[in-house]
Amino acid sequence: MLLELRRIEVNFGKVAALRGVSMAVSASSIVTIIGANGAGKSTTLRAISGLAPLNGGEILFRGERIDGLFPNKVASKGIAHVPEGRRVFPEMSVEENLRTGAFLRQGSRDIEKDLRSVFEMFPRLEERRNRNAKTLSGGEQQMLAIGRARMSKPALLLMDEPSMGLAPVVVDEIALTIKRIASGGVPVVLVEQNAELALNLADYAYVLENGTVSLEGEAGRLHDDDHVKAAYLGV
Amino acid sequence: MIELLAQTGLNSLYAAAYLSLVAVGLVLIFGVMGVINFAHGELFMLGAYVVVALYSGFGVPYILVAAIGLIFVGCIGILMEFTIFRPLRDSPLGGLVASIGFLLIAQALVSMGFGVRMEHVPPVTQEVIVFSEKVRLPLQRLFVILAAVMFLSLLWIFLRRTRFGWALRASAQDAEAAALQGISIRQTSLIAMFVGAGLAGIAGVLTAPLISVGPHMGHAVIVAAFIVIIVGGIGSLEGAIVASVAYAFIHTIVTTFWDGVIADITGLSLMLLVLIVRPTGLFGTTDRA
Ligand SMILES: Nc1ncnc2c1ncn2[C@@H]1O[C@H](COP(=O)(O)OP(=O)(O)OP(=O)(O)O)[C@@H](O)[C@H]1O
Ligand SMILES: [Mg+2]
Repeated sequence: MLLELRRIEVNFGKVAALRGVSMAVSASSIVTIIGANGAGKSTTLRAISGLAPLNGGEILFRGERIDGLFPNKVASKGIAHVPEGRRVFPEMSVEENLRTGAFLRQGSRDIEKDLRSVFEMFPRLEERRNRNAKTLSGGEQQMLAIGRARMSKPALLLMDEPSMGLAPVVVDEIALTIKRIASGGVPVVLVEQNAELALNLADYAYVLENGTVSLEGEAGRLHDDDHVKAAYLGV
Repeated sequence: MIELLAQTGLNSLYAAAYLSLVAVGLVLIFGVMGVINFAHGELFMLGAYVVVALYSGFGVPYILVAAIGLIFVGCIGILMEFTIFRPLRDSPLGGLVASIGFLLIAQALVSMGFGVRMEHVPPVTQEVIVFSEKVRLPLQRLFVILAAVMFLSLLWIFLRRTRFGWALRASAQDAEAAALQGISIRQTSLIAMFVGAGLAGIAGVLTAPLISVGPHMGHAVIVAAFIVIIVGGIGSLEGAIVASVAYAFIHTIVTTFWDGVIADITGLSLMLLVLIVRPTGLFGTTDRA
């Protein structure tokens, strides 16, 4: 297993956001976490990145404990996180945002090559490379956040609701990108409220309810599950 | 009249030069650390006392004193980060109160070491550039202006063109997102404190031969710097520089034609006016830096 969560718990004061969540992500796959508002999806990703400290359980990446590490140390292990709400650096240019994604890397030739490949993936970013990120549209900001994560050459990519607030055409483009990233050998943990999209993209899925995993399985099988259909697919 | 205006302009440029060095450091620290460093005026004061100790005291060459002052006060900034700002990281109010404590300690230590009397630093150079009968620029003042332009340009290049400069801006704009890129907030905080304090220190070094040096000299500077960063838009380095120039011109003109107290009142009134018309300041956005 590339990534393993073992009964992790996260509390915010008296509120228990995660109560013993276990998950596993293997190399070369898309794993999705779906669930309602406040189920604990973002908290799960934030726990992996070190942004939300654990109150119990452990997190292993390539067999090594990473819980308790500062977020920048987790990043240096090869985990990139595209956070909820994109969180691009608003007063920095598109290019500066991307180069900041490569902060931990040395060797300028490789970085230039990856910059070019991000621009090939998202030509619109290249057209706007000298503009401040805050001037971009929501879809472009999402592309920038994904591009920035790619610039770190991650071994695992965490994505928190990349489709949020985007027009359907843009959602399709982002979905295609996620597929391309995964087939390029970078496993993705995808958090989504758009369960239809997520279950179509993913190989394996977890359903979070009130901070616990209520259901898990092959994404295709969950897509046909009656409870999932009623609660998340609106059919 | 033209000559008086020209002279006032030169005086303003000099005031703008050291004020913007102080204000930019304050903005940098606020941006990255999220705290208002109330002891910033004392960092300026410590820079001036490095000159008193080494240049007046031991006759160390001035240019060497400038380098030592920059590094020494920069290190005081690092000391502040370790002793007060880092332990109080999650409490901006705590950091602010602790920096007031630091201010008092710095004043007390300097008073004990040097006494409370005003020190007069012997001039580094007596030379004056004479444009005309009434328009003159002492070389030391020109030196302050040129040094400010140089340090601010270096800062700009650092922030815009280097990996650690991007890291600093990124952590000012979104600390969490910066950490996710592998940027250590502890590291960027240390850099911000060293650079921010060092700029205040060098401003003190540069002006020491031109003003009376005393343990409480930081007060006037910090008040002006606060006005300037509020008018410029808290978090905006460009805003701080533009506002420094504007403030220095207005303050110097009012001082020349009326007096210093009216100039202070004018400065504060203009700040209030800007806040009423544009609450985020001239260059401010809702985001920081
Ligand atoms: N910083 C915080 N402080 C206090 N409570 C928090 C904090 N972050 C999350 N919570 C709480 O933890 C629970 C899980 O939140 P989380 O953000 O993980 O949900 P989510 O599944 O990502 O929801 P959404 O779909 O709205 O993004 C919620 O009850 C939320 O109110
Ligand atoms: Mg969420």
